[in-house]
Amino acid sequence: METKTDKFSAQDTAQADLKIKIIGVGGAGTNAVDGLKLDDLGDVRLAAINTDVQALNQSPIAEKLVIGRSVTRGLGAGGEVEIGKAAAEADRNAIARMIGDMDLIILVVGLGGGTGSATAAIVAELAAKTEALVLAFATLPFSFEGARRKRIAEDSIGELRQLVHGLVPLPNDVLLQEGEEDTSVLNAFAVADHWIGRGVNSLCATLLKTGLINQDFSSVRSVFQSRGGKTVFGTGTATGGDYVKDALEDLFICPLLHLGDRPAQLDCILVNVICGADMGMAKINEVMMQVSKRFGSREDIVFGAVIDESRSQSLELCILGKAEMDSLVAPEPNKISKEPEAITTGLGIETEISVDKKAPRPVHRSKLSKKEQAAIDQDEFNFIDADAQRGYFEKTDRNEYKDEDLDVPTFMRRGIKIKIK
Amino acid sequence: MSQSRVIAAIEIGTSKIVVLLGEIIGDSGLNIIGHSVGSSKGVKKGVITDLDKASDCVHAAILRAEENTQTRIDEVYLAQTGQHLIGNFNLGSSNISASDGLVRRADIDAATEDAKRRSLPDDRIYIHHIQNPFSLDGSPVENPLSKEGRQLQIGYWSVHGDSEAVSDSLRVIRGIDLDVSDIIISSIASGTVLLEESEKENGALVIDIGGGTTDYMLYRKGYIVKTGVVPVGGDHITNDLSIGLRISRKNAEGFKLKDGRAYYQSEDREEKVWLIGDFTIGDRQYPLAAITKIIEARVFEIFDIIKEQLVDADLFEPSDIASGVILTGGTSRLTGIEEAAHRRFGLEARASEGSQYVSEELRAPEYSTAIGLLHYALTGQGDNQEQVKSSGLMRRLADLFN
Repeated sequence: METKTDKFSAQDTAQADLKIKIIGVGGAGTNAVDGLKLDDLGDVRLAAINTDVQALNQSPIAEKLVIGRSVTRGLGAGGEVEIGKAAAEADRNAIARMIGDMDLIILVVGLGGGTGSATAAIVAELAAKTEALVLAFATLPFSFEGARRKRIAEDSIGELRQLVHGLVPLPNDVLLQEGEEDTSVLNAFAVADHWIGRGVNSLCATLLKTGLINQDFSSVRSVFQSRGGKTVFGTGTATGGDYVKDALEDLFICPLLHLGDRPAQLDCILVNVICGADMGMAKINEVMMQVSKRFGSREDIVFGAVIDESRSQSLELCILGKAEMDSLVAPEPNKISKEPEAITTGLGIETEISVDKKAPRPVHRSKLSKKEQAAIDQDEFNFIDADAQRGYFEKTDRNEYKDEDLDVPTFMRRGIKIKIK
Repeated sequence: MSQSRVIAAIEIGTSKIVVLLGEIIGDSGLNIIGHSVGSSKGVKKGVITDLDKASDCVHAAILRAEENTQTRIDEVYLAQTGQHLIGNFNLGSSNISASDGLVRRADIDAATEDAKRRSLPDDRIYIHHIQNPFSLDGSPVENPLSKEGRQLQIGYWSVHGDSEAVSDSLRVIRGIDLDVSDIIISSIASGTVLLEESEKENGALVIDIGGGTTDYMLYRKGYIVKTGVVPVGGDHITNDLSIGLRISRKNAEGFKLKDGRAYYQSEDREEKVWLIGDFTIGDRQYPLAAITKIIEARVFEIFDIIKEQLVDADLFEPSDIASGVILTGGTSRLTGIEEAAHRRFGLEARASEGSQYVSEELRAPEYSTAIGLLHYALTGQGDNQEQVKSSGLMRRLADLFN
């Protein structure tokens, strides 16, 4: 074991050269990036793009770009997509400079407004011309913010999805369900930032931190090989008691995994575990087994585990998965009996650890049996670009009534919080 | 027996397909001779989304009904629902032509024609013209013929639907080599048989909450003055529970039936309910409040939309709806739904006990639409004030196929 670990450390130094930039686009995006607490992930660069000079001045982020001064005189886009678009178009070159020469670009944007909705796609388009892997976290407006903002957000997300390698949509209506019962609306906006933080942190930790099971960039890249498709993101945490079981349960009821397009099966899945030093291989194994059982990834599961000394008796799980459009043609029913013991326990991890890190292919490539358990009661799901909050009705015509989509659960549109624990 | 015809009333619902067979002997009575209920696939929010799947289910239900009764169906009456159905109130008028100022048949025809004149875009098709009272120089009259006046007016509540959606339903029936004699919208079908004449006269709001849609109809002074479809039903409650509690649709449906209530009360916070409830490993407890809050939000919204539409049409006058709200359809079985309706409308509300003219078994709310269809088949051609005759509909539909 020791020798293997040594080899790992050597590899880690190489990883340190990885160039990662997190870019907040528009007002909400910049706010979210401001709030990122990247625990000692030294090398990650933060940047912000906005049309509003004043807002940008208040941001502690080092690298800032005001776009469209000639269009808005630095006063923001005022919720107008056309103005946001003109602003971004005017400063294409500056944007291109900002995103050049990166390995991983993470865009953070709040959709529904003028600047973010219009600019994100242009940033993504320029980023697509570089070698970088591009991921995006995009919040979607609350229903009560009105149909107009919602439409803008939807148009934008459709466009964005085609341009980036992975797009994580975060519907505010859904995230609201996670806060405390009396979460005010203002706090609710902060809830979204918190989720983005968890995602970004987990991703960066996987890449940059020395871990029990490390993942290099190429394996992350392998999860997000192609553009388009649907990205799934979920987290779960627990402390004390039976924290492994609790964290898994928390992950499985993560609201983002229970939207209409819930991931019965994913093509590629990146699982990151952050835990205390007391976690041990057996428990990690258990986590891996449960996660792969649940999401039955068809091809690749990439596991990463990071030790955080300060987190004994606790576990944080984060999954980022990808399902490609073309794989959805026939999720053929299969009756492979689950004999999970034979698949991942012990053995799986041995394979993982002994793999030569220089391999360009994913480090871990266990062909897990497709599990039907999770899919048993689910209707076939279909990955059209519609609003994911419609569940069962995803494939049907919109159910518009006075600017609301009646297929979206009423309690969500009204911001009624449901406590399920 | 040679004079008897077997009529099938078919409702292609979102969750169920109901086939009811009636035998009409001579011109007089109708005996219900059999029925079959099958699960429905390929239908969402009352509209066929998968023609093949829907056809398979409908055909199976038809064959089963025929087999059970050892008969062959002669005619089909089909229910239609869906968001695409739109109603308009159209007023027609004519000036009395005769010099003595007495209304002639020609004046009535002219007013009627005027009311129905409004043409529709190519992709729309009229399904019903429901007659409302005549008025002569502004005062309502039952029968204007030979009365004196200067101007005659007549109103029609006209319902039209999307041609494609309507012809999809027809295609399903034609696929098994049967002909559809007429199409009746679900709200009218279920409403007509559930109410006594006196209730129609006093005014009543019939709400049929099914799996995928909620159909409603308002009777005022004995006339159908408004119908409507809210494309939301029990399926939505299930979907809301599934998303809100993060459980499968099947489990959500279980909760809805087992523990669901149409309104939330503060005691629900204290109570916990089991997801499965038979000591299965992995069973979980959920707060009852989570379930009732989710359902309440949805059910209240359905009622609020209906109320809003009545208010917008200037028809929500509690004194004109003295018989209150009558609930039917599968979702009317939901515990507490009468209370919820009472709270939202401020009217008396009750679940329908079903038509008094049929056997106990067929009084279940799921059958009200199909029974209404048979009722229509028997009386629809008659000349009475609630005539919902759709003259020419079938001919226009036939054109769609050519």
